[in-house]
Amino acid sequence: MIINGRGISPGVAKGKIALCDDYVSPLGEMGKDGRIKSGKCEDLEFKGKIFSFRGGRGSTVGSYVLLELKENLTSPIGIINEKAELVVLTGAIISGIPMIDGIPLNILKNDDDAIIDGKSGRLELLNVTQKDVSTVYLFHGDRLLVLHRSDKVSSYQNQFSAISGHIEEGETPEEAGRREVLEETGIQDIEIEKTGKPFPVRWENIVYMVHPILARTKSDKVNLNWENQEFRWIHIDELGKLNTVPRLKEALEELMKL
Amino acid sequence: MFLTKDEEKIFDGEMGEAQAIAIRLLVSIGEINGADSLIPIKSAHISGVSYKNIGDGGLKFLKKIADKVKVPTTLNPLGFDMERNGPVEVDRDFKEKQMEIIKTFMSMGIKESFTCTPYYFYQKTSYGDHVAWAESSALIYANSIIGARTNREGGPSALAAAIIGKTPNFGLHLDKNRVADYEVEVNGKLDYSGAAALGLYLGTNYPGKIPRLVGFNYLRDFELKAFGAALAASSATSMFHVENRTPDDTLNRGKKFERIEIDYNQLKNLMEEKSSSEKPELIAIGCPHLSKDEIDYIASLVKGKKKDKDVEVFLFASRETIKNSFESVKIIEEFGAKVFADTCMVVAPLSKKYHKTAINSGKASFYLPMKEYGGQEIIFRNFNDLLRWAVVDY
Repeated sequence: MIINGRGISPGVAKGKIALCDDYVSPLGEMGKDGRIKSGKCEDLEFKGKIFSFRGGRGSTVGSYVLLELKENLTSPIGIINEKAELVVLTGAIISGIPMIDGIPLNILKNDDDAIIDGKSGRLELLNVTQKDVSTVYLFHGDRLLVLHRSDKVSSYQNQFSAISGHIEEGETPEEAGRREVLEETGIQDIEIEKTGKPFPVRWENIVYMVHPILARTKSDKVNLNWENQEFRWIHIDELGKLNTVPRLKEALEELMKL
Repeated sequence: MFLTKDEEKIFDGEMGEAQAIAIRLLVSIGEINGADSLIPIKSAHISGVSYKNIGDGGLKFLKKIADKVKVPTTLNPLGFDMERNGPVEVDRDFKEKQMEIIKTFMSMGIKESFTCTPYYFYQKTSYGDHVAWAESSALIYANSIIGARTNREGGPSALAAAIIGKTPNFGLHLDKNRVADYEVEVNGKLDYSGAAALGLYLGTNYPGKIPRLVGFNYLRDFELKAFGAALAASSATSMFHVENRTPDDTLNRGKKFERIEIDYNQLKNLMEEKSSSEKPELIAIGCPHLSKDEIDYIASLVKGKKKDKDVEVFLFASRETIKNSFESVKIIEEFGAKVFADTCMVVAPLSKKYHKTAINSGKASFYLPMKEYGGQEIIFRNFNDLLRWAVVDY
């Protein structure tokens, strides 16, 4: 899959991802041997990899640390940040290490095969494919419909989710949402209230680009198909207590704020 | 980004390679961050002075970029005290490389300040000045307490700004980015170390966000210095406000913020969790470097007292601060403590000799336990608690 961030330091790097879901202080935390020395990502090897972390922190000397690592042949070959700050950015530019930002780290896994273009901000993940899905949060009054996925579906077996399915070619997210509601619950009368910003969720070698939809129905009769084993009409406060697919609650909260 | 005719000439290399590298770095940074132009700066402060930190790669870069600076420019501390030697021995090769770095900086017309607190004595910085400062503890002080305007410069970008005399206009140079993101209240009174612990807590839990402290008017500038240093070490946050106190708090008037209430005991626990229970070999004070007021205060506490011979006490401040605190420094030295200039507990290789170090600094508590700093055991307490170990019959 291809995702476009922002180009920071020019050049192209091709290699494996080394992922640290935290902020990193190059001074003190990025060791001369090419490994992280302390904190949440202790022992992670970034040498020769595309080092992906949230952003820089700590000492403003950090820029020189990247230069010294490069000199030592123990630097990363590329850098990905969620949001770049000046210290790491300057370090990447003066060391000639390609760097991009604006990439959500949750689409990455350690050892992904990646190519970054530090000029255009483009990231290509060679081992990952992207699939678009619609996720419909369906309300009846103040109750939300959650479905307990069966063990026959291809992903997130036995977890709770909203009504979700692939967007077929030529379909809009709304059309796919209506079709999935009908297939999975038998409900026809739905009114789409709003749609949210699509967000990525990583599952094995797939990134699902989830298009969230908020909809209402007057019907509370549900006929499940094979994809789910149980349904519940719940109050949204109960969502936190269920074992759900990733970001189900957070995405609903963002959708309701819109 | 708009460049003037003169800036374009520099960019095209007509003024030599060093200036071209400098302006190209500034322009890249500006374009990435949506700056409209370069703006003149009043001063610059450079981090990345210690050979331990910048290494051979840094030295090579310095030589390439070495050109005269256009504004008053100060330097961060290095690995040892040039006059007194110490606080620990450094080997000859290290010293030679360090002197080569200093020589390169001096050839550029940079001041021999060697301090992380250039705002004491060295830099005359005022409210509203645009500056380009590296050193996270200094730049957060400049933005918050002085009300000057600087981004969180990396060592090389601050140097590039000094050489050109300008910096890209974005981020904290603009009013709109200097407004608070949230408010903080604590149900107890904080001292120097408590303020530092609060900085660590906020840096870790709200990275990159600008806090507005509510009900902290009692904190003195040097306590806010400790708070800011800890906040800026544990995150990329480069500014804070104190309600009705810091100069740019006017930008927050009439705005509503999410308020976070922090339990005083939580901060005490944070300090305890970081602390070893063993007796320290060394008590290190002055991260960031001490002010004249702080040195005078310490002198008043140890005057006529005797130091425990099993514990070393090191103080760190700038040359000018030490010179201006002559009487107090004498009292402190008679007590048996040592006062060092040019260097500090973070950049001097203390772990060569000391493995259990007691500190009152949140910033030091962030760095000293790191493996790259020798993985020191630390004791993080307030200054009065530390003195109990140092003074006979305290």
